[in-house]
Amino acid sequence: MTNDNAAQSAADLATPSRSWVRALRLDKYSALYLWAGFMIVFGITQDQFLTATSIKLVLTEKAIVALLALAFLVPLVADTFDLSVGVMMGFSIAITTALAQNTDIPQGLNAVIAMAACGGVGFVSGFIVVKLHVNSFIATLGMSQVLIAANILISGNRTINGVLGDAYRDVGRTKYLGLPVYFYLMLLCALILWYVLEHTPLGRYLFATGGNLEAARLSGLSTDTLRWGTLVASALIAGFAGLVHTWKVGTYSSSIGPGYLFPAIAAVFFGASQLKGRPNVWGTLIALYALAFGVKGLQLTFTSGTAWIEPLFEGVSLLIAVALASRQGIVQVRKRRPIPAETVPPPVS
Amino acid sequence: MSALLTIEHLTKVFPGQVALDDVDLEIDAGTTHALVGQNGSGKSTLIKILAGYHQPTGDEATATYYGNNSDGEPLELGNGRAAERDGLRFVHQDLGLVDALTVGENLALGNGFITRYGRIDWRRNRERAQEALDSLGFESVDVRLPVGALAPAQKTGVALARALLGWEHHAHLLVLDEPTASLPASDVEHMFAAIRRVKERGVAILYVSHHLDEVFEIADHVSILRDGRRVTTERVEDLDHDRLIELMVGHKIVQGRSGERPIGSEVLLRANGLRGGNVRGVDLVVHAGEVLGIAGITGSGREDLIPLLTGQTPSTDGTVMVHGHATANYSPSDVIKAGGAFVAADRKGLGLFPLMSVIANTTICDVGRNARFGRLDHRRERAEATSWIERLAVKTSSGDAPIATLSGGNQQKVLFSRGLRLDPRVLMLDEPTQGVDVGAKEEIHGIIDEAAKEHDAVIVASTDTDELIRVATRVLIMRAGRIAAELVGDDINSVSIERAQLASAHDTTSEFEPT
Repeated sequence: MTNDNAAQSAADLATPSRSWVRALRLDKYSALYLWAGFMIVFGITQDQFLTATSIKLVLTEKAIVALLALAFLVPLVADTFDLSVGVMMGFSIAITTALAQNTDIPQGLNAVIAMAACGGVGFVSGFIVVKLHVNSFIATLGMSQVLIAANILISGNRTINGVLGDAYRDVGRTKYLGLPVYFYLMLLCALILWYVLEHTPLGRYLFATGGNLEAARLSGLSTDTLRWGTLVASALIAGFAGLVHTWKVGTYSSSIGPGYLFPAIAAVFFGASQLKGRPNVWGTLIALYALAFGVKGLQLTFTSGTAWIEPLFEGVSLLIAVALASRQGIVQVRKRRPIPAETVPPPVS
Repeated sequence: MSALLTIEHLTKVFPGQVALDDVDLEIDAGTTHALVGQNGSGKSTLIKILAGYHQPTGDEATATYYGNNSDGEPLELGNGRAAERDGLRFVHQDLGLVDALTVGENLALGNGFITRYGRIDWRRNRERAQEALDSLGFESVDVRLPVGALAPAQKTGVALARALLGWEHHAHLLVLDEPTASLPASDVEHMFAAIRRVKERGVAILYVSHHLDEVFEIADHVSILRDGRRVTTERVEDLDHDRLIELMVGHKIVQGRSGERPIGSEVLLRANGLRGGNVRGVDLVVHAGEVLGIAGITGSGREDLIPLLTGQTPSTDGTVMVHGHATANYSPSDVIKAGGAFVAADRKGLGLFPLMSVIANTTICDVGRNARFGRLDHRRERAEATSWIERLAVKTSSGDAPIATLSGGNQQKVLFSRGLRLDPRVLMLDEPTQGVDVGAKEEIHGIIDEAAKEHDAVIVASTDTDELIRVATRVLIMRAGRIAAELVGDDINSVSIERAQLASAHDTTSEFEPT
């Protein structure tokens, strides 16, 4: 594509002049088109791409990242960052496996303890953000490092392997319609969040808190409680993602966790440019799987040495998606806000 | 005295409003020239054109500046750089200082740092800053402190020093836009001393103020603006307080509208010993059926009263009862629960959820009303919001449009819907028509009338005297953080309000005893 073409298509995206361009609603559905494009292109070029096996594989592989993306989404709706979701998942796994290794507690209880611990950490994060007025970005970044330390202490800085009972493995292997049960649990989690965020007063209050914190407070909302609650919810979802990981893999190692953060954030922000022009559940999942299938196709195309594809792909697509979203809806609306000085009636003195 | 600056035929039209109408002004060299007028008379606009913030409308306006050449040379109006170059300097009301930077650094902003081989020479910068402040009588200011740590008077001093820095060669006209508005009365004298020192250097001063006693104390001449026209320019010694107010207000004595409605006996709002911000002890009782107006110049506490009553800002002392319920300090949700509703003055910062729809902005205070078994009934919500859009005649392409796409007046009407939808017993409004066009303003006044009918009450704090006359049945005038006067019935008119607002700031004896 020449520069002229690129400029032209960018201009088309910004101001869809022709009706069919407008009808495509590239601003809202770009990830869906991308997804469809991948399916068509790689479906033609790669024999193994459009097979049930590889589709199931992608859906299954990304279920954990999808849960972390949902964990990141909940506080983001209230304009609160939780950068600790990746390490929180590791924390959950570390507790579950370490308890199995070192104690005689019934293993089912391990998971409960792990979830409770995650919720507790989320509560502390919330306290730091809401009561100590620490910026959520900083607070959860700091909490991440604390959790990394906790994980090292809990695990004795060793990989924990083969200590979980068969029950864990069996849950991970249970399948319906060829997909593991935890994939459906992820969908259920998404469904619940979608319902709460889009169809209950609570969801509206969260979006209002994220839209203008002080205006939300003046509207009588308990913005402190709301933001605090989102951080607890986020920690619980991340803890649950850890639980799914123990079903699926059953191993703890220190490398699990941190690497999951970026794909989750990328999906949420890419997803925020989809459907509604703000963070939303289905946009997040669509963005996540569109990218996942693209990566899968590329991995099949370049058969060896493909490790670079995923981070490159996630990084570039996040940048493009957010840049496009900024060009359109979101920022255009903001741009209108400072009314040109000439049209403002003189402020009273 | 020879003229320093003459302005002729200056006109400025904003959409739907003539701010300045063919204004002439002449300022003599070395004199202090006061500019007074009611809110909306065009003072600010005139200053802002001089400073280059606004452009004059049309091309008839001319300005001649004699500061650099005794024959005069044209001064380009609406060009801030040209004004600065020719020797005009400004201290605006908000001072424009950066709190986080030190005094020395603030003085370097706009004037440049003194450098040595490209490196900032901190010692010489400090010396320069200290000299500048010393020469104005602010020896006590430590130039190494961040500006945020200074007292209000010291901040004003820093702003003054910054405006005058490097002016030894060049400075001829200093424009002070309400320099004492945020100063406690005790600091005003300090400020005056500094201004007199500036004047001794032969600098002319254009002094904008609401405090008429300041005008009498410091000015040589005074120009009065009314409705965008210059009424007259007089020597200060030829005037007295009453005559000045008369000139400001003119002969239109708009009468109040009270007596039209019965005031009930039910107390809907009661404040006792309220303090915080510029409010220094206010007692207040509001009865059903009233529209209570709150007047006062900036710094009088008028701007902080509604925020304190509604929990927007924390109070330091005192209690507020809304409809018989004590409300916790700094708790808007308590006020709403008790039956209050309010529209804050800062529409963008405190009112709007800019990216959310008109519907969502309308229903945010009680979204649950349209929920059944926890599920939001979007159709019912839309129907309810639409009825409000129609009732207040909000112009919007659809209820789903983001509220940021609406005009200021329509945004304001949505915020009114948000409050009225709660069916409040007390509606509290802060500058309800600021930044709103004339048509919407009239509609909003109609809404206020409507809201106070029957057995509810409305409180309106406003800098717009005509607005208070138009809507209020009783007006309280604030001065120096307290309620200084009360006007009811036929006493509510422009002259009485202006007179009460502008009475000596040093006069602390209250002529008003709360009922």
